[in-house]
Amino acid sequence: MTDKLKHIAVTVSFLVLTVVISLLCLTHKSIAVSDSERRPLAQMPDYSADKLFSGNYFPGFESYTVDQFPLRDTFRSLKAFIHTKLLGRDDNNGYYQADGYLGKTDYPLNEESLSHAIDRIQFIREKYFGSGSHNIYYSVIPDKNYFLAESAGRPSMDYEKLTQTMENRLGSSMTYVDIFDALTIEDYYKTDTHWRQDRLENVVQTLGNAMGFQNKPEYTVRELYPFYGVYSGQSALPSKPESIYYLTNAVLENCAVYNTETGKTGPIYDLDRFDGQDPYEIFLSGSQAILTIQNPANTSGDRLILFRDSFGSSIAPLLVEAYSEVVLVDIRYVSSALLDRFLELTGEEDVLFLYSTLVLNNSSALK
Amino acid sequence: MLFSSIPFLYYFLPLLLVIYFLVPKKGKNPVLLIASLFFYFYGEPVYVLLMIGACLSAYIHGLLIHRFRGSIWSKVFLWSSVITSLSLLGFFKYSDFFLENLNALTGLELRLLGLALPIGISFYTFQTLSYTVDVYRGDAAVQRNFISLATYVALFPQLIAGPIVRYTTVEEDLTQRTHSVENFSDGISRFLIGLGKKVLIANQLGELCDIFRRSSDQSVLFFWLYAIGFSLHIYFDFSGYSDMAIGLGKVFGFRFLENFNYPFISKSISEFWRRWHISLGSWFRDYVYIPLGGNRVSKGKWLRNILIVWLLTGFWHGAAWNFIVWGLYFGFFLVLEKFFLGAWLKRLPDFLSHLYVLFLVLISFVIFNASSMGQAFTDIGGLFGAGGHPLVSQEALYQLRSFAWILLFAVVGATPVPKRIIQGIKANPTGRKLLNVLEPFFLAALLLAVTAYLVDGSFNPFLYFRF
Repeated sequence: MTDKLKHIAVTVSFLVLTVVISLLCLTHKSIAVSDSERRPLAQMPDYSADKLFSGNYFPGFESYTVDQFPLRDTFRSLKAFIHTKLLGRDDNNGYYQADGYLGKTDYPLNEESLSHAIDRIQFIREKYFGSGSHNIYYSVIPDKNYFLAESAGRPSMDYEKLTQTMENRLGSSMTYVDIFDALTIEDYYKTDTHWRQDRLENVVQTLGNAMGFQNKPEYTVRELYPFYGVYSGQSALPSKPESIYYLTNAVLENCAVYNTETGKTGPIYDLDRFDGQDPYEIFLSGSQAILTIQNPANTSGDRLILFRDSFGSSIAPLLVEAYSEVVLVDIRYVSSALLDRFLELTGEEDVLFLYSTLVLNNSSALK
Repeated sequence: MLFSSIPFLYYFLPLLLVIYFLVPKKGKNPVLLIASLFFYFYGEPVYVLLMIGACLSAYIHGLLIHRFRGSIWSKVFLWSSVITSLSLLGFFKYSDFFLENLNALTGLELRLLGLALPIGISFYTFQTLSYTVDVYRGDAAVQRNFISLATYVALFPQLIAGPIVRYTTVEEDLTQRTHSVENFSDGISRFLIGLGKKVLIANQLGELCDIFRRSSDQSVLFFWLYAIGFSLHIYFDFSGYSDMAIGLGKVFGFRFLENFNYPFISKSISEFWRRWHISLGSWFRDYVYIPLGGNRVSKGKWLRNILIVWLLTGFWHGAAWNFIVWGLYFGFFLVLEKFFLGAWLKRLPDFLSHLYVLFLVLISFVIFNASSMGQAFTDIGGLFGAGGHPLVSQEALYQLRSFAWILLFAVVGATPVPKRIIQGIKANPTGRKLLNVLEPFFLAALLLAVTAYLVDGSFNPFLYFRF
């Protein structure tokens, strides 16, 4: 090719590419929510002269152009490919692949965040469980990085310091149940943050040993496919779909879940959620402020108050057989100062604070 | 507006190209001026008035200097122009620095103004100054057409982060520039290469520096990784921007001068400054150093001149002590090279003189990027094991591994090696034909790769916007 032809080719290809993409940008219909990233996408900002002259209009417009870019997911995947395969970066926006699992670097230990979480736990203990004969426990769920990071030399938070700090501050008032050794990376979904309900037997046993119950019921494992976990879309790294598993039996099928916020009662597994934005919400319909699982098969009157994050949704059904009632409280959605408006306490409940390191290390949402 | 943004690449630029090449010749400057004002308005709605004011001031002063040429009034208007320009720059950029230091010195509690720095004010102030000084000196003809002068000052490719284009450089292009497919193609190629340097390399090295700052697992290795990463980051960020500016200028028929010439291959600090931010160095040389007498004065005055120029060079970069120290640091080594080191450096094997420059430049950028002199000392100390940091940390090793390829690309890309390889291939007719076939594909792929990064919303600030 001669120099002249090259100049024509460069000029034409650039103009065609930019003009075509521009037209696609202009004609592209706005999308409200990104299914892969699981977040609302920026929309064209409302125009006003005030916004324009104060400099507040164009930042919104910029976000809109990025979020609504045609073939956004394809471009995100292309970026992840270039980033990790051509430029050799180990992670894409903090997400990485290791041993077939998608992980996310959560590093370093945010001591301020941990302290805030401990403050919330202490506040709840003192305000609601300071009197009476409650058995109070707490446990920490390691995130996937705990298992994946070290072997590949990736940075990971100081888990020992995290649990040690909690023990130092909470140790005298409640009992720590260490479940780190009851878990392996195989107990987590490959493409998601969460653990697999069908692989929590060891965790339930460890909790049972500490809390004084023995749950060994028979379950039927059910499978839903295809499941793309939260890391799959957010990382934009290539990943295969997997199955999501849930355990059921006659006892669980007879349980009723009462949602204090909506006043509605439903089943433990909300299978319609599988087709929603977050399929993990099949477990107790996802994170809700206060849920009460009523188990008619257990007439002992024993109650468990479980302070939890989204990991609690999948383990709670496995604890239910030991109790007449399991109350799940998510203080990301209800202020811990207002719980007495919604909770009636007998003074003899078992109390379990069960939080993942992901929430403890990013606890600003705990109210 | 950032060049490396979706609104620029897929809204502003295509629309401007279509309009610009459709309008007749006499409409091209007004189109460019309106586009440039919008480009500035996009990021600085209010300060666009300040920039128009700077254009008006330069225009009127230019006319007055010319009108009263030969009389004392010409000089008065020159000084009026200089004082007006520097007052604006001083007020918006340096007020709080002076107030802070005055408060610290006297114990007063004067309220800081807290003004946002108008983007690019340091660049366009120097451009308007060069215009009025050149008109006064008779090096440039007065521009009687306000649109043409305003187009020169506000021209969006170089408006907010340089290079500092002198009026004399584009005087002819403002009225008689030519457009061709060859210019367009060369300009777009240069623009896309600069865009790639910025988005694919500089931004990632910037991310490495951010990771270092946030890390609680620092080590001597990590400090070195940071220092090397930042030195390469600032080079790719700024030279990438200059490439984009030069390329876009060419697309619209303007010929800007080069701003970088592989500074990291220098064998002395004086050579480094002939290769780094050339437009700034030559501006200070022609408008400060030489008017002060340059080196054709006594040794004492010569030292004074060097001190003033490097103090101002540092201060131009930012209203903080670390920038002043950074400028004086270079001034110190330039004097040392003139008096002692110059001859010694010439006798050294090349790799040792390269090492000498790289080491000093690397330390300089650690000072440059520090948020205070205290942090600069901590960071420099960290390079040599001060602060009780271990030699190596887990995170430093991880980041070294994760950024290894990018660092390697950056190191090689900062040398003329890729250019020489391409020239070598082009020397062969078959190789040239092959490269001509590959180039359009490569550039299209580069644009798509950059787009992918921008769509993913990656780390993307321009370092030199703060100047």
